[in-house]
Amino acid sequence: MPSVFVSGLPRPSLKLYSIFSAALLSCSVFYAVQTANNNQGLKNNSSQGSMFSSLSNSSDTLVHQLKLSSSSGFLAWALNVITFILQDPLSIWAVINAAVCGLILTAKTVQVLVFGELRVVEMQHLKDKFWNYLFYKFIFVFGVINVQNMDEVILWYTWFVILGFLQLLALVCKDRFEYYLFSTTPTSWNHIRLLCLLGAILVLSGVLLIAAIGVGFFGGFNTFAFMAAECLLLALSVQHTLLRYLLHLYNSRGNNSWSRGHLPYYAELICDLTILILELLHHLHMLVWSNIFLSMASLVIGLHIKFLFYQIQRRIKKHRNYWWVITHMEKSYPEATSEELAENSDNCAICWEKMESARKLPCSHLFHNTCLQSWLEQDTSCPTCRMYLGIRPPPGMSSVVLSRDALNTPRRSRSPYHYFHFDGSRYGSWLPSFSVEVTHPPQLLRLDSMQSDSSSQIDSMARQVQQLFPDYPLSTLRDDLHVTRSVELTVENILDGRIPPPSPSFEEENGTPGEAPSSSSSWQPFSPSFTPTSSDVSIEPSEPLTTGSRFSKSPSERELILQLRKEKLLLAARKKYLDRQAATSSSGESSTSTDQSHSKVD
Amino acid sequence: MSGSALRRLMAEYKQLTLNPPEGIIAGPINEENFFEWEALITGPDGTCFEGGVFPAKLVFPSDYPLSPPKMQFTCEMFHPNIYTDGKVCISILHAAGDDPMGYESSAERWSPVQSVEKILLSVVSMLAEPNDESGANVDAAKMWRENREEFNKIAQRIVRKTLGIPT
Repeated sequence: MPSVFVSGLPRPSLKLYSIFSAALLSCSVFYAVQTANNNQGLKNNSSQGSMFSSLSNSSDTLVHQLKLSSSSGFLAWALNVITFILQDPLSIWAVINAAVCGLILTAKTVQVLVFGELRVVEMQHLKDKFWNYLFYKFIFVFGVINVQNMDEVILWYTWFVILGFLQLLALVCKDRFEYYLFSTTPTSWNHIRLLCLLGAILVLSGVLLIAAIGVGFFGGFNTFAFMAAECLLLALSVQHTLLRYLLHLYNSRGNNSWSRGHLPYYAELICDLTILILELLHHLHMLVWSNIFLSMASLVIGLHIKFLFYQIQRRIKKHRNYWWVITHMEKSYPEATSEELAENSDNCAICWEKMESARKLPCSHLFHNTCLQSWLEQDTSCPTCRMYLGIRPPPGMSSVVLSRDALNTPRRSRSPYHYFHFDGSRYGSWLPSFSVEVTHPPQLLRLDSMQSDSSSQIDSMARQVQQLFPDYPLSTLRDDLHVTRSVELTVENILDGRIPPPSPSFEEENGTPGEAPSSSSSWQPFSPSFTPTSSDVSIEPSEPLTTGSRFSKSPSERELILQLRKEKLLLAARKKYLDRQAATSSSGESSTSTDQSHSKVD
Repeated sequence: MSGSALRRLMAEYKQLTLNPPEGIIAGPINEENFFEWEALITGPDGTCFEGGVFPAKLVFPSDYPLSPPKMQFTCEMFHPNIYTDGKVCISILHAAGDDPMGYESSAERWSPVQSVEKILLSVVSMLAEPNDESGANVDAAKMWRENREEFNKIAQRIVRKTLGIPT
């Protein structure tokens, strides 16, 4: 995992780095100015020509032309300095470093302006995407177009850095948009900023496309196709996000009828398919162009192509299912008449909203057209009475596969890694065997995906956890590890208080339950702010829950009311329990003693 | 699609706040993520879980109510139908397609007309009457069948723990 490795290295702070870069740049400029001034006297074109390295011929000619056209002495001098910086092997690195620094600062500014603090998920996505991108571009530059020339490498990487920067920004925008979908808190100001950023990325990708066309005139068709494909992909994905965003905003302003209409669906379908097919073509182009079919690069690209092909297939299958459900519904289930709607004044049982129009199932239950359709895509019974509707899925699809496909959008079901195994010894004894695995950084291990480990593994894991939490007995940790089968999850359980701490209180606790609460704050599995004291317990449970009878408009007030209600419920339950315990104190004591013995066995 | 899920969740939240079933409170922990709720469930009277207040986490999928939420108790639980990590195994939470235990008829499974309130009420009745055929926690199921007294003691210890009363 490169990202794990890199995050372990010490990194200077951004401030330090920018100061350092600025200093380096000014040093190189100063050096260039000095040299340029010294050269002023004996300067002529031929001596300069000898200084030109073969590195940047194109930029030289450009500079020359500019120099000829500029009559002013100062301008010529400035150009002279710039040319020198670009040609000096040390200065050029200072310039590149400064450019990278500038990019990081820009990213930081955009982040502060638009996103604020990035969430953990966004950070993780960003890291995944970054390393993935780096890997694929490395393969592209050295594996596919096989650049030998240092100058060209720098040019390609400049291109990819700009493109990658925009792609990462687009990714964060998309993540943030999807996050807003799940939330009630974002203000319209948040939306405006995000939309502006998306628009800016779209415009910039257009600019890059024009640049790609410009380069294509000099570099030939293939270079143009490689560059343009990436620009188009970026533009399309941003446009896709924008489209979904605007639709979402439109819907959340209260227009429900559009949420799953035909037009947005087809727009999305076309967008998805165009992106996938374009990417497929792009990769096929790479594969054909690289010529070397038996290299690691072509292997990686081949795997990606297979994956893309699978995605396209999936998308089309999903669409066929959708289309089929629609036709079936229109054929078999009639629109409800206005009398039926009036008679059945309930809301739609699926979305809980009012029905202006509805479809009627044979069992005479009414639903919104769109609600019913999305349910039928995954199940073939009436949601209310479970009557089997006797729909046959289209040929070639078993109903279970169909429902699973409909449930999973292509993005969510993306497998976490591509895996390839080549067993060379099957074809010839001298051939090697190897496996290729392109992994995205660590995913949480799932309980169900794990096979039973040997107990020695669990023991070593338990010891690992015990180093972190020396108070916990090894047996407790082992028990939990048997369930979680992962060190991370167990540590998480301990931190969240899901594993009872090995408190010596079992031995010490002799007090009666009535006076105990003051020492028991550590027992709270939730609401850490709430520490029960005996005065809290005295709150009248019969006091009417005024907080329960209203539903506030403001999210923060709702959260507060919910918290209060939870605390009240708990307090009332406590009081009731203690009262009952006091009434039957004799039996309570005996049970306490047996419980103690039980806890020790645990 | 998430827009309609959000509206439906908001409607359910409103209903649960204005007309709460007795001993049940549920709502989003933090409204920045409306798809993750915390619920408090009071153990039903006259059962071994009587009086306890059990916290649980509900996580909703983005296509809710087409797919069921996931429910997990965040306190220690010992019950035949609750896994040791707190995940709840009842038929109402299973999507129509999958059938992990192989015995449920599809009539008991998730459908979009179910709601958070119905889920929580089912969980309350599950606390009262465990279904010892589906063994999410085999030890608990065995003890429930064979040594009811011991089971009740453990349940009482858990009840006290959730109330913050040390054993």
